[in-house]
Amino acid sequence: MSARDRILGRVREALAERKQEAHPGPFGGWRSEGEDSPAVDRFIQLFEAAGGEVVRFDDDAVAAAWVIDFVSKYDAVSMGRLARGPTAVGAESPELVLKSADPADSDVGISLAYGAVAETGSLIMTPQDGRRAQLLPPVHVVWVEEKMIFPMLYQALSTLGKDLPSAVGLHSGPSKSADIGQILVKGVHGPGRLIAVLLAAKRNST
Amino acid sequence: MSCGSTPGQYRNEAARTIREEPQVRDSVTKATLTFDAHRVEAFAQIDSERWRDWARDVKTHLLTHLDTYLEEAEAQLIANGAKVHWAETAEDALEILAGIIREHGIKSAVKAKSMLSEELQVNPHLEKLGVDVRETDLGEYILQLLGEPPSHIVGPAIHKSLEDCRELFHERLGTPVNAEPDELAAAAREALRKDFLAADLGISGGNFMAADTGTIALIENEGNIRLSTSLPRVHVAFVGIEKLVPTLTDVAGFVQLTSRAATGQPVGNYVSLIQGPKKANEPDGPEEVHVVLVDNGRTKLLADDEAWEALRCVRCGACLNICPVYRQTGGHAYGWTYSGPIGAIIAPGILGLEESMPLPHASSLCGACADVCPVRIPIPDLLVHWREKAVTAGLAPKSETLGLKAYSALAQRPKLFNTAGAIMRRAPLELGGRALPILSGWVLERAAPEPSAKSFMQMWEEGIV
Repeated sequence: MSARDRILGRVREALAERKQEAHPGPFGGWRSEGEDSPAVDRFIQLFEAAGGEVVRFDDDAVAAAWVIDFVSKYDAVSMGRLARGPTAVGAESPELVLKSADPADSDVGISLAYGAVAETGSLIMTPQDGRRAQLLPPVHVVWVEEKMIFPMLYQALSTLGKDLPSAVGLHSGPSKSADIGQILVKGVHGPGRLIAVLLAAKRNST
Repeated sequence: MSCGSTPGQYRNEAARTIREEPQVRDSVTKATLTFDAHRVEAFAQIDSERWRDWARDVKTHLLTHLDTYLEEAEAQLIANGAKVHWAETAEDALEILAGIIREHGIKSAVKAKSMLSEELQVNPHLEKLGVDVRETDLGEYILQLLGEPPSHIVGPAIHKSLEDCRELFHERLGTPVNAEPDELAAAAREALRKDFLAADLGISGGNFMAADTGTIALIENEGNIRLSTSLPRVHVAFVGIEKLVPTLTDVAGFVQLTSRAATGQPVGNYVSLIQGPKKANEPDGPEEVHVVLVDNGRTKLLADDEAWEALRCVRCGACLNICPVYRQTGGHAYGWTYSGPIGAIIAPGILGLEESMPLPHASSLCGACADVCPVRIPIPDLLVHWREKAVTAGLAPKSETLGLKAYSALAQRPKLFNTAGAIMRRAPLELGGRALPILSGWVLERAAPEPSAKSFMQMWEEGIV
């Protein structure tokens, strides 16, 4: 008999006389206070409370110009694979291409989020974009389409669950720790700055 | 165990900590009060009673169908391309790890914080195998440099002060004597970044595992778990069999509830949801993911008609934070991986009842832990349950049994009772400790109070009371 069968056998023996209980149904995220504000507002509120930064645009060209200006003070930039794709903007600009570097040597990483979650203030990062650019540079800039902000986490996971990649990362603020004398520090292992570049659902995309 | 002590030495270790390391009580109390205040605030924002009912019911459902969910999770993980192993004991789990290390010629490993890996004593085993292993959670890293085990489920180094860290980092990483926390963290980041980039193996635990998708969920704040499970070519996750939940959408509830209960955050800064090795359309990520499903006494707990409820535990640490007994000493005094109230009720399953004594007694049964537990484990009831089992098994300390018998005999004989009382008041307890073997343990651990000049009965008769 294998270890597997012995463990399962012991579980079955332990449960033989035990009353079986039913699943209580889906998690409802029940709140004590009403939350009627739009998902994007709730996302921004929680994301900023956790130390994240948000910029919003309703014009792709303006958003691209902002990102190019933002990285102008840095020497090395790594771009996630999806962030180069057609959804995002500005990726082909010579300013970015010239500074292109491996994430381990970059000052800034630029990624495209699959979406975001209002309930938890999280960006949903998928590995098709490349995990290293999401984690190694000290500054992380993330494109997010506002139409992909899910009100509840379970809604996001149930949508993702239909075609799950190898790993999903929910990033809800800059890396932080209070392990040294219970004093909060940022950027311990992951990026110390996390900037969400929100692209409005209705916008000028050229 | 690297703790240096065992549960059996709890009373002496607790007393020694309070006597010789009073700063531990200060650091632990400060940290746990902060954790708990954050929990209170975070629970006030939600309908926490409803969340707790839901979580209790999901876990109860899961545990009463554990065999079928284990099979479902295994099948799903295999379909995802992960390799699944089953470990009955800690030794089995370590042997499985050794096999993976040999197969891949692994030289160095980075570790995410995992209480199960502490329970299994993974680090000493890796060292024996000649693997360089680096703890990457900042708190765990501090403890690894010091050669100490974690003292709290969520904040492993809360017993260390900023001063302790300054001194340590000055010695080991060359930071200035008065470095600010930011500088200390930056020094650790730099040192550990090299380890992350060089490691062949990443080791993690698992906060939850969804049976329907074969997803391992990990919650953290620093990013070290995401790095440990993304950069090395092999990832090994040790997951206790009780960590399952039925579905990925259940995980959505549990990561939020656990985060709120542990640190008061709406959700941990990073949540990793891991299904398996990297796919063809993904540029990076581990080539192999191994999931080791660990029993190590959990089926023993499951078989106990009362104590099985402890398996609902999500390891948030809320019961430690609220516990007036834990706050006095921190976790080391308990002499094993899981300290505080939850540790005392799972120890008999994992270590055995005899080896766990006297941990079920390391509580005043005040009930605060049950009030905060996010999955409503009746911790005080289970403490009493193990105390009763210990008496039945003849494991109650002899001195206690003898002392109670002697007291009962005296209390039924008023004259003898008064005489004994008079002697006790005149003999200093320290001497009495030597004279009366029943009290020797008691006075070793405590400073004796000054005896009263008169007995209660005398004072009563004289009208002083």
